[in-house]
Amino acid sequence: MLDYLKYCLSPVVLAVAAYGLWLGGNFTWLGLGVLLAILFADAFLEPDLTVRDSRYPWLYDVIVSIAMALGFGVIFFYAHLVGSGHFVTTASAIGAFTTMLLLQFVVTAPALHEMFHRENLFLRWYGRIGQVLIFDPWREITHVVTHHMRVATPDDPDYARRGDTVYGHVARSLYGQVIEAYHLERTMWTKRGRTWWDPRNGWVHRAAMLIVFTSLLLAFGGIKGALLAIAVCLAGPRTMLEVFNYCNHYGLISATPGRFEKRHTWNHLTPFVRILALEITNHAGHHEDSYKPFYELVPDRTGPKQPQFLMCVLLAFVPPLWFLAIKPLLRNWDEQYASPQEREIARAENARAGWHDLNESPVAAPPLNALVA
Amino acid sequence: MLKESEGLPRVAEDAPVASREAKAGYCRISIRGSDRSFEVKKNDLLLLSALAQGVDYPHNCRVGTCGTCKTRLLDGRISPMVDFALSPLSNQQLKDGYILACQAKVRTDLEIEVKLGQHKTLPVCNLPSRIVHWQRLPGDVIDLRLRLEQPLMFGGGQYCTIAESGSFVRRSYSFYDSPPDPSGQGADEVGFLVKRLPGGRFSEWLFGADRSGVKIWIEGPFGTMGIDDFDRDALCVAGGTGLAPILSIVGDRIGRSQQSKFTIVFGVRTAQDVFANRRLNELLQQAPGRIRLVTILSHEPAGSAWPGLRGLVTDALDGALGVDFTQAAAFVCGSLGMVEAVEKKLIGLGVDPGRVHADKFIPTGY
Repeated sequence: MLDYLKYCLSPVVLAVAAYGLWLGGNFTWLGLGVLLAILFADAFLEPDLTVRDSRYPWLYDVIVSIAMALGFGVIFFYAHLVGSGHFVTTASAIGAFTTMLLLQFVVTAPALHEMFHRENLFLRWYGRIGQVLIFDPWREITHVVTHHMRVATPDDPDYARRGDTVYGHVARSLYGQVIEAYHLERTMWTKRGRTWWDPRNGWVHRAAMLIVFTSLLLAFGGIKGALLAIAVCLAGPRTMLEVFNYCNHYGLISATPGRFEKRHTWNHLTPFVRILALEITNHAGHHEDSYKPFYELVPDRTGPKQPQFLMCVLLAFVPPLWFLAIKPLLRNWDEQYASPQEREIARAENARAGWHDLNESPVAAPPLNALVA
Repeated sequence: MLKESEGLPRVAEDAPVASREAKAGYCRISIRGSDRSFEVKKNDLLLLSALAQGVDYPHNCRVGTCGTCKTRLLDGRISPMVDFALSPLSNQQLKDGYILACQAKVRTDLEIEVKLGQHKTLPVCNLPSRIVHWQRLPGDVIDLRLRLEQPLMFGGGQYCTIAESGSFVRRSYSFYDSPPDPSGQGADEVGFLVKRLPGGRFSEWLFGADRSGVKIWIEGPFGTMGIDDFDRDALCVAGGTGLAPILSIVGDRIGRSQQSKFTIVFGVRTAQDVFANRRLNELLQQAPGRIRLVTILSHEPAGSAWPGLRGLVTDALDGALGVDFTQAAAFVCGSLGMVEAVEKKLIGLGVDPGRVHADKFIPTGY
């Protein structure tokens, strides 16, 4: 039963953060503090390679559904508190904003990602509606179609090539996703013989979801509350999801788009990251079968791994440090994981990035577990 | 290489009707109108699992873009990897319950309607090669030949994916060579006809300079275009570089039958674009009297010296062609619009829809 309890951490963290927001003052930093403490502590833990108990799958789904409901609740609550002037000092306002940024990215976004990948109609729609919490209900289509089909190739807008910084990546990927989403939606309404504004088109009812969500934010928090809540959604989970994508497939190479191999993704398998991220960071299993519920994913013991997830995110924001960390891992990937064709593409990518040292004769790389979690 | 699924036997031609339960963790796939059935591990992709067991399932691209593996789902449940509205399935086909086997994860026992092919699928290989022949032809076409580091087996009308060493960019092209002797090791050298697509990432690179000596990765073979009764006369309709699989299919079928005759209708824009004289002449010389070539030009200036037919390839398909449409096997290859138009016309002329074998060339991109 411990496995089921583990995932209660997400709703507990959400509840604690909401409590801190309600208390106000310096307590608005409570949620941020708790999350960062968990994630920093997690960085010192050994990878968790266990498989979850799956005798009562419905229990996991209930827990995650509750977490997502709390994710909705906390954003509306935040809007209300902002609108009612609850955060009197600048420090409390900043604390509340940053708590919400991290909370919605680390805790709520994984829940909606899990849901919109599911086969079960209710859960899938729950996840789709949940995308309003990242203020981008169209995100799902390019993720489920293009990302999963073109992973680790430049045709995937979510993919970061060697030498790309996170800042360039976020800009490119946001632009690329919009173009790709339009292309996919247009293909679907054309195929179905519908006009572009037909309410049965995916993009139309997603636009309606966003309008309803925004209206609710306005109702709860007025203009100021709504604006800050939307800013939380965009600057938090929406942008940070691209930072996650940046890290998770960084520099890896697929010579066989459409046929995923476990080596085409990095993994982060430390215990609390697995729990809070609902196993998204158990990424190989997710790409192998994106319908598979999180609790059925089997950690890839021998697959490519990066440093602990929070460390990766922090490093990513300082490109020279990120490159310092990732280059030895990519060298190891080129030597140990890449197919012969992928190795040749890797050499070209290294040259493109100006990383000619990676194309030199292999030197003894440090043991992998010295670098990664 | 395709791998056999662990623990699954290759399916025998006389595999029993699905009256027994599939073993634990597996789903039974029954084919309506056939005694054949096979098992797929639950949650595996229908097409890949079938191919790995040696089931000659119709397929081509394997990634949801060609529609060749379309299958009518009569009973059972699958999960689509992508929305089938993004696939080549038409709206009517979606309503009729068609799915793409390559995108279908099997969740329960299934009853399906699909026409299994007649030949053994060949293992897919990923091989390095070098360009040994790079020749510009009229009509913005390059005759590209690759020498393989290991031999490769392929069937008539099949294709492969090629990529320059070090590049993500990969494109699919049909072999134009006759298939190698099945009892041998395979071909050491293969050829393709590559049309320049303005702005196309691969073709613009290829046309940019003489690429002889460049290393190329080949993955294949894929596709099942060329399968039909070998003694049957064949009507082959090719638009532009759609001629490539036609050359391969005709070369293959010539060797397998002493009696079948071939009519090749070849459409290009103008007389200056006729790029395949050498390859066509080689083919014609292989079986004198058995192959008839009809070239038709769609954009030949009026009043030019061209003595042959003018118009679209569909304009050449009529009673004057001298083909018994009701008996012929038809092989059609070219752009999407051309193939759809030709298919429609051929069926209207009496060709059995089950005998129309088409390969639609869709530009991949930029």
